Amino acid sequence: MRQNRLITAGLALLLMFTGVSAVSAGNISFSGYVRNYTGILVDSDPLDYSQVQNTFDIKADYSGDMGDLHTEGFVYLDADNNLTAGIRELYADIYFNSLDLRIGKQQIIWGKGDGVFITDVVSPKDMSNFILPDFDEIRIGVTAAKADWYVGDFTLEGVWIPVFTPSVLPDSHSIWAVSMDFPAGMTPSIKSAGLPDPTFKNSEGFAKLSYMGSSFDVELIGGYMWDDTPVPHVTKFVPGMPPDVTVTPEYHRLSMAGGSFSTEILGVIFRGEGAYYDGNYFSIDPDNLQTDLIAGGDGTLQKNYLHYMAGMDYSVFGINLSAQFVQQVILDYDSRLKNDEYESTATFLAAKTFLNETLKVQFFGYYGINNGDALLRPSVSYSIADGLDVTAGSDIFMGDSGIFGQYNNNDMVYIKIKYSF
Amino acid sequence: MKKIHSAILMLVLLAAAAGTAGAETLSGLQIMEKVYARPKGPDIQSELTMTLINSRGSKRVRTIRQFIKDYGADEKKIMFFVAPADVKNTSFMTWSYGNSSKADDMWIYLPALKKVKRISSESKSDYFMGSDFTYDDMGNRLPKDDTHKIIGEEKINGEDCYVVESTPKNPDYFYSRTVSWIVKGEWIGMKKEFYDEDGELLKTLTINSYKKVNGYWVITSMEMDNVQKNHKTIMELKDVKIGRGIRDSFFTERMMKRGIK
Repeated sequence: MRQNRLITAGLALLLMFTGVSAVSAGNISFSGYVRNYTGILVDSDPLDYSQVQNTFDIKADYSGDMGDLHTEGFVYLDADNNLTAGIRELYADIYFNSLDLRIGKQQIIWGKGDGVFITDVVSPKDMSNFILPDFDEIRIGVTAAKADWYVGDFTLEGVWIPVFTPSVLPDSHSIWAVSMDFPAGMTPSIKSAGLPDPTFKNSEGFAKLSYMGSSFDVELIGGYMWDDTPVPHVTKFVPGMPPDVTVTPEYHRLSMAGGSFSTEILGVIFRGEGAYYDGNYFSIDPDNLQTDLIAGGDGTLQKNYLHYMAGMDYSVFGINLSAQFVQQVILDYDSRLKNDEYESTATFLAAKTFLNETLKVQFFGYYGINNGDALLRPSVSYSIADGLDVTAGSDIFMGDSGIFGQYNNNDMVYIKIKYSF
Repeated sequence: MKKIHSAILMLVLLAAAAGTAGAETLSGLQIMEKVYARPKGPDIQSELTMTLINSRGSKRVRTIRQFIKDYGADEKKIMFFVAPADVKNTSFMTWSYGNSSKADDMWIYLPALKKVKRISSESKSDYFMGSDFTYDDMGNRLPKDDTHKIIGEEKINGEDCYVVESTPKNPDYFYSRTVSWIVKGEWIGMKKEFYDEDGELLKTLTINSYKKVNGYWVITSMEMDNVQKNHKTIMELKDVKIGRGIRDSFFTERMMKRGIK
């Protein structure tokens, strides 16, 4: 299976290069980077590597009179010589007077939030390494047709994704694996999640109306989609027998509507983003699971919820500061749910450059208000020469529970060396 | 208020149209208004190269394609970063409002994030792309924001110049004063000194070359020396085109994302 994937990726890369070499070299530009990323788990004894990864990323762009072709391929090679290769994006742009079409595999990014996903739900995510990779590596390209119609300062965007692509979850043996909690004595048998059939009926559609003009920017969005992560439905294996259960992860339809804005007031950028999600499935808390199963439930409840963010960016003494408050609210809340009714997170960023922008010191942090957990990400980057950067940093997880606290043993220090061309 | 403008605009504004009658009787303010009011053309496009040279003599080069359109008192500008590779395809757009107290609108497009972000326009003292030019140095500061005084006359490169000292009316401005050498009759700024908040010389701007493009003066090479940091930036303009007719739709999010090929 993995070999087939590698062969497919290799063929795609080969096609990419042979394809672009067939057209006039004068209209083609190449860019990309080579990077080594080595991380050490500081809580391990003896010290273990969290990551030893070599990356080659290449983008090729061909420009024509009516449009452009773009492709980006990547290769990851780890210390055990395991090779992963693929195509991050591969699409064609066609330009008309007031209409642009983009067709092919592409990353589609919406919203005004930084480091959070509220209305940014078109492209699924690769969570193999939690949220630590760069965001263009976290986002997974989707094969889609996107149309942008421009009228003055307004843009109407429509996206059709014919075949659903799910998010990638951490491998069960990974340090980032998320364990499913079950009551003591209950033995789960976990099935693999089945994808929706690739039919027209199962396709996804999104629309966005945006305004970018003097004083403020606004986006209004809506989507009829699939939840990118499967929801575990629990059923008793054999009724009346010992409490063994079957867990069947399923993908569900989801509708959403929302918007975002940004504006500047007295030198401060204010940003906001929010969405209403209709009919999401939430898991029952493990303490209530047995009761729910006995009552005929399947360990889930369908609820609507709100997800929103308010943030601000400010610069003082050359230090760029940014703070965000993010909250999820489950409507018509049921106390049997695993999630809290209100789940709040705050983010904070401070960054400053020195030595004519060759040295950058940055701190980015997430704080989970409900569980008192946190992820702190200090880093220092130095540009050795144009295009050649070295970054040293650490990712520190704090707390015992919550989305960050669950990784309390995964504190790491790392160094990245990246050459861009 | 206009705050961030490109080097070409700065240079064009520093350059001045002819107008010699009665020049000897001009005040410092009138001289600086002549520099400011010089016609700069309906639109300008060029390739801007900045060579940053540190105290050890090592160089770093930044290249930008920039497009500016004049809307009377207002102005729109879009810049596409070409080099170095790690900032390639980043774009930066400014809408400036000259005759009002309204702050500039500014956006940046970062290709790694694939989205356009509105950013604060309150960073006038920040240095542009690690160069020795602040955003404010690259703008056309309004003459009325300073008090101007003629402090002498000198020859530079064979040109007769007024020497004008400008002191900011706002005491919190990050330069305590500047001194400009303005060519008589042509109203071109040939040299400028910037003094820090302690009154010490911080930077010296020197014009290396200038020429007329489509009837408008454009300075094509200049150098900013930071004497306190022993660091300098040489800024050069190439492929300058004036009055080619840039469409209004060029200054939009659409073009920021699409970039210049």
